Amino acid sequence: MNSFANRFSTNTTQLHSPEEDNFSDATWGSQAGFGNIAMGVPTFSIPDVADPTSFLQLHTDDHADPNCRIKIQHGTTTLAFRFQGGVIVAVDSRATAGSYVASGTVKKVIEINPYLLGTMAGGAADCQYWETYLGMHCRLHELRNRERISVSAASKYLSNLVYSYKGMGLSMGTMICGWDKTGPAVFYVDSDGTRLKGDLFSVGSGSTFAYGVLDQGYRWDLTDAEAQELGRRSIYAAGHRDAFSGNSCNLYHVKEDGWHFIGNYDISKLHYDGPGDVPGAPEGGYGYDIRVEGLSSANPPEAAASA
Amino acid sequence: MSIMEYNGGSVVAMVGKDCVAIASDLRLGNQALGISSNFQKIFPITDRIYLGLPGLATDVTTLRERFRFRVNMYTIKEEREIEPETFAHLVSSTLYEHRFGPYFVEPVMAGLSKTPSGGVKPFIAATDLIGCLNFAKDFVVAGTASSKLYGVAEGLWEPDLEAEDLFETISQTLLNAVDRDAYSGWGCIVHVITKDKVVTRTLKGRMD
Amino acid sequence: METSFAITGKGYVIVAADTTSARSIVKMKIDEDKIKTLSPHLLMAYSGEPGDTVQFAEYVERNIRLYQIRNLYPLRPSAAASWIRRALAESLRSRKPYSVNLLLGGYDTASHDPHLYWIDYLGTMTEVPFAAHGYGSYFALSLLDRYHNPEATIEEGLATLKRCIDEVAKRLVVSPGKYKVKIVDQDGIREVEL
Repeated sequence: MNSFANRFSTNTTQLHSPEEDNFSDATWGSQAGFGNIAMGVPTFSIPDVADPTSFLQLHTDDHADPNCRIKIQHGTTTLAFRFQGGVIVAVDSRATAGSYVASGTVKKVIEINPYLLGTMAGGAADCQYWETYLGMHCRLHELRNRERISVSAASKYLSNLVYSYKGMGLSMGTMICGWDKTGPAVFYVDSDGTRLKGDLFSVGSGSTFAYGVLDQGYRWDLTDAEAQELGRRSIYAAGHRDAFSGNSCNLYHVKEDGWHFIGNYDISKLHYDGPGDVPGAPEGGYGYDIRVEGLSSANPPEAAASA
Repeated sequence: MSIMEYNGGSVVAMVGKDCVAIASDLRLGNQALGISSNFQKIFPITDRIYLGLPGLATDVTTLRERFRFRVNMYTIKEEREIEPETFAHLVSSTLYEHRFGPYFVEPVMAGLSKTPSGGVKPFIAATDLIGCLNFAKDFVVAGTASSKLYGVAEGLWEPDLEAEDLFETISQTLLNAVDRDAYSGWGCIVHVITKDKVVTRTLKGRMD
Repeated sequence: METSFAITGKGYVIVAADTTSARSIVKMKIDEDKIKTLSPHLLMAYSGEPGDTVQFAEYVERNIRLYQIRNLYPLRPSAAASWIRRALAESLRSRKPYSVNLLLGGYDTASHDPHLYWIDYLGTMTEVPFAAHGYGSYFALSLLDRYHNPEATIEEGLATLKRCIDEVAKRLVVSPGKYKVKIVDQDGIREVEL
């Protein structure tokens, strides 16, 4: 087993094999783009200028300059929280390019391995690539150490990776969620290099709306059904209010035996009809207009009301 | 940030057989933040003319009030209802009066004009924000989802639709176009104008 | 950052605004009342550009009062809202526009129902069951979608308002400290402590 692990691990002699020197850019991308794992940290073609970091910053930082050439996707709502029964991970599924809704069926939860989930906000490609890459290293860790990697270690690995590209336009805000020896765990990792351990996070343009509902309903001793309902309800809230979030909600629950996919819920359906027959959900739709239908703030005096 | 996208919203109008239809979404936003799902953008001008005003919401309200005033003045002076063609020119000149500091709306109007033989002729028109008139024979679109509306309408519209079929066509056009636009949606409203009545329906649209 | 909320309930509107007056990075005052009483059944919370806010609020206050003196009855909420919106919309295209955002809450004594209008500095106006201005709105609106009840009693309404204030205090980096809360219902206007 160790020899197998060594073949794919980063610090073997293979790292300096002569093959590496004639490993041209054209062959890069073989083995599903992870072919270069055999050579250690992946290499990317970098702009051939004196200071690539500031060059890339100039062309990718659309916060500073909205007209910059390389556009990165921003609209999203993702959330994850820890509670007595594990971790709930819920995300929306909308991808926008400017005001155009480019897709309504994006998978923003990345299944790193059966015990680890990563969420996706910011650059879709950045999140997908690096979290998949993280998954491979988590597997190598298992093979080398005969035990699963902790959520803490996995998130630290990712954090260190993206930090080494800081300033070059990587854009990701992710939650690494899982269950390890210490129990349920959630870590927030972003491309600035921030890594935070916590009970409850939400990331993306709709995160404030999700927080509004999430914070008010959150308790550590939530039941599984209540927690799933809270995750779903919070993503609905963000999908409703935020123009750049919506379409559908993907819900995951991480328990001791790994993650479980709970379901995909159409946000418009949640608005009008609710999630359907699921434990913990109230009767009827989540929508304000649906919920208060027939209620009125008018307060006519008794006499006028009866007349 | 574009000023035309600040509040979001879209309008479409279509011609049918002896009928016209005009429809809009109901969202009022503050950029990405949705504020209201009950913001009217289409206003009745006469019994047979409806005006849609997508664009900057403050100007939508201001212009609605302004057109109401001007149409009332016209009605009093002429002692008759304004005709759609005349109204289109009233819209155009009102907007051009503000050529160097425009109102940020792209009006769309739909109506039925009287023919000399006593029948009715469908009429639709749209203008840009400084009043360039566009009289179309099929459909007109405006607002943040206009590019998407063009695509769907080109595919669905056909000539001489009856009122009920026109309702279906315009509804599907709007509903599907706004689902691809982040700044439009939150419910829709459709008016179908025929010779003897106007049918208004609110549609259950996606709320995200 | 300035934050204001307003919610309607059974026969009332609650209007709340933070009480800080800031200049640069300094809090100049922490007990500023940013809710004006425009008429016996009309409240207006204002926020925005310092200077413009009070100037505009007083301009509105006096004109609404003038109407009442001339006509012996006050403007109803919808009429007052339209007039105020017009004033802002006209100011927008003037040499020096007012940058003021408003929440206008009133009780219509003729039809016995509460009205709440959300108005921004551009003159955008819409009637809503609950509203917020400032960064607080990004947290409070989803919360109110979930918890607001149009038939809530005043106690329940205040409890919902408390949720909003607590949420903003919890999540907003530059959250305001204290709020002034006023209620308008059929008996008129009164201030309450949370």
